[in-house]
Amino acid sequence: MPSEPAPSTNESTFLLSALRENIRLDGRALDAYRPISLTFGSEYGTADVRLGKTRVLAKIACEVTTPYPDRKFDGIFTINTELSPLGSPAFEVGRQDTTELLLSRVLEKTIRRSGALDTESLCIVAGQKCFHLKATLHVLDHDGNLVDASCLALVAALLHFRRQDIEVKGEDVTIFDVREREPIRLTIQHRPFCVSFSYYHNGEVMVQDATLLEEQCRQGEVVVSMNRFGEVAQIAKYGGAPVDGLSVLSCTTAALERVKGFDRMVTEALKADEARRDEGGLMAELSAENERPTGSMLVGSEN
Amino acid sequence: MAPYTNIPLSPAELSYLHNSLSQNPPIRPDGRSPTQFRPLVAETDILPSTNGSARICFADGTEAVVGVKAEVEQSRTFVSATGEVGAEGVLGLGAGGVGDVDMDEEDDEQTSRAGKGEETWLEVAIEIPGMRDDDALPVFLSAMLTEALLADGELKDRLWINRRFHWRLYIDILLLSQPFSYPLPLLSLTTHLALLSTRMPALLSEKDEDPLFNDDWEASHFLYPQSEGRSESQRKPPVTLLVMSVGENIIADPSREELAVADAVVAISVAPSSTPDNEMVLKTLALRTVDPPSRLTGAGVPTALNTTAGGTSLTAAEALVLREKDQGQTVWRPPRGGVKRAVITRMIKLVTEQGGVGQEVLEGLAGVET
Amino acid sequence: MPLDSSSYSIAQLSTQAAADGSSYLEMGLTKIICTVHGPRESPTRSGSSSQSPGAHIETSISIAGFSGTDRKRHGRNDKRTQEMQHTISSAFSSTLFTHLYPHSTITISLHVLSQDGSLLAACLNAATLALVDAGVPMSDYVVACTTGSTASYAGDGEEADPLLDLNGLEEQELPFLTVGTSGGEDKVNVLIMETRVQVGRLEAMISVGLDGCRQIRGMLDRVVREHGERVLEARVA
Repeated sequence: MPSEPAPSTNESTFLLSALRENIRLDGRALDAYRPISLTFGSEYGTADVRLGKTRVLAKIACEVTTPYPDRKFDGIFTINTELSPLGSPAFEVGRQDTTELLLSRVLEKTIRRSGALDTESLCIVAGQKCFHLKATLHVLDHDGNLVDASCLALVAALLHFRRQDIEVKGEDVTIFDVREREPIRLTIQHRPFCVSFSYYHNGEVMVQDATLLEEQCRQGEVVVSMNRFGEVAQIAKYGGAPVDGLSVLSCTTAALERVKGFDRMVTEALKADEARRDEGGLMAELSAENERPTGSMLVGSEN
Repeated sequence: MAPYTNIPLSPAELSYLHNSLSQNPPIRPDGRSPTQFRPLVAETDILPSTNGSARICFADGTEAVVGVKAEVEQSRTFVSATGEVGAEGVLGLGAGGVGDVDMDEEDDEQTSRAGKGEETWLEVAIEIPGMRDDDALPVFLSAMLTEALLADGELKDRLWINRRFHWRLYIDILLLSQPFSYPLPLLSLTTHLALLSTRMPALLSEKDEDPLFNDDWEASHFLYPQSEGRSESQRKPPVTLLVMSVGENIIADPSREELAVADAVVAISVAPSSTPDNEMVLKTLALRTVDPPSRLTGAGVPTALNTTAGGTSLTAAEALVLREKDQGQTVWRPPRGGVKRAVITRMIKLVTEQGGVGQEVLEGLAGVET
Repeated sequence: MPLDSSSYSIAQLSTQAAADGSSYLEMGLTKIICTVHGPRESPTRSGSSSQSPGAHIETSISIAGFSGTDRKRHGRNDKRTQEMQHTISSAFSSTLFTHLYPHSTITISLHVLSQDGSLLAACLNAATLALVDAGVPMSDYVVACTTGSTASYAGDGEEADPLLDLNGLEEQELPFLTVGTSGGEDKVNVLIMETRVQVGRLEAMISVGLDGCRQIRGMLDRVVREHGERVLEARVA
């Protein structure tokens, strides 16, 4: 029932006239992104992305189930988006509004339909058992550009996730617990990322990474999903003011550069996370010594 | 029964309509005779991906499209060698005729199928714009249409292929316009036409092996064959018609306004059954009373009770007497009580008699080119 | 077969008397009926005191169970259907003169009788015709078509021309996109692509798509004018 308060006429006029002179309210260049931070949680498959004030959290969970009868050789992969009032007063629990619909559809097409995750690798026993991979996206703070942040979080989480190892001997399947055997990574075929473009003044001004206010004042948007090899996974322009065909093409070129940047960022973050987990290396794992509490903790317990 | 949307007519208009229709002969708003049908536009075989399809537009702008699709399904019931039917909770409909199924019998296909069909093999789905699938109107309409289609027991038997497989018939009915007037006759006529045009692929496989069909669509046969020859094949799908009564008058094909003042409304499903002389005789398959919308319109307030019009305030008992006894004070009162059996009998006769309304409709539809 | 050949595509206006505006469109085997109601008073929505400054466009798509090769019941709350509904609503929000009808709703109802590819494009074209029939003022038609890339199947990838107006089988096999134009040549209103394609192929696909839209616009315009002449003749006679 409550909807985002529309920006006042003053605000929108100011924003639009500033854009006419290629000036954004926070002083960024038209194609500059806000500072992005990507952090992983302690559990495998959790990724936290902050894009300026926008914050999304992606979690991956995995369980064993029966495959769909018409897809015997594939596992199941579902993406679930949760937009709760935590993220914005415009969101309501349980009610599905346009933002949630478009976000979930774009993510579906970008990650699921493009085959980023190889679902055949999730199959355990054809027709009987398979893994059901559930990706959940929580929007914790909405300040514009949910799509880019969400896709980044989801892809990073998928790359980070480790599922349980299995062994199939004829009809018997053993699913090893994480403590018995090292969990293994998912088979990711390619890494697609989304880049959103908002446009103003009949397509003359194209802006990347719009804040919430910029999104509310825009005339339309184009969302391009690509991987770093230049393969476009999806393009979505849902109406809005008509723009030149060439402008749309220039979006795809700009998107490629941005996607390469995203890809680099994810690779670096994954490497850093690996290093952090692997602290001490093999010798630390084999050591029988327990962790000793530090000095400050001892002081507290004496009371 | 499902009442439907209110028709915004004032008590004065309702009274005028009711009076006109109570005359002898009844005067209808559009000047038709009591048994005259409105013209309609119909076409069949309009959809390439269906086994049968039809579209009908009534004169008041309401339009419906019906598509019939058939898919092969594995049967859950099985017939053992001794002819006993092994089923899961299905009434032993086939107990009688199945007993002497002989693999080498070269009997007429029709009689050997008798009694083997199951009612679950037919699925009717109705879609009305603006209504959900579990709203009262679509549910009631589909129940009524399904009942009529299954009533003579013939249709479901035609869906039998062999002991392991059968056809599952899906009838999808789309009402394209808003449901202003009661859509039952429109949907029923469109379904009738669609079923008449439904073709099933010709079976190539023998007996109980996995069904294999002829790819050549020219070799397909009609679900309701209309050959000139044997009388058994003159079966047609049923039609459901709406008939209403006002006092002693019976009126067929009522329009919206006429339904608003009906004393009783009845939906009659009929289908032809042939006599040996190849005459078309209509038998009644189903009969349902429909709650007329006239009951939804409240009675007018008599002037004596209307304090704003200068009526004196009466005690509760006096007001009740005035309302009940009426004495011509109010202009319109919704009909009370049921409908006389004699009237219902006359309604049925109107539809089923030789040269009656039912026959007229069926002959009209038969003339639609497939 | 050229897109505007009369044996391939059929477009009719005013197919339903009961609606404010209606149309019937066939593109190959994809058949769509569209009815438009409005602009009319919005049903009062609880809690929204400030209504929109312009008309609200509501689209509903119902895909019949018999529309595909297999009989399949489509739920109304399917996300894919909802996305299409949103696309159509926002495509027309930029061309219809909604500012003339504040606090009103224009309802577009699409019924898909048979689908064989180019579903979104056919829906947009059918809706345009129905809106014209309903007399809703607009700045231009919204016309759409699909293009697909055969590059991966061609011997010499550079020479493969994109295909125009794909049918169901082609849509399953080839990467394709739906492009909708309005407001002058080469102005893209809607662009939806859900399949993977190399970025280099996009330019050719989009330009062939824009060309196809030009053809379709010509055909729809002809149909509208012919219908208009018939209406005038009926009035005068």
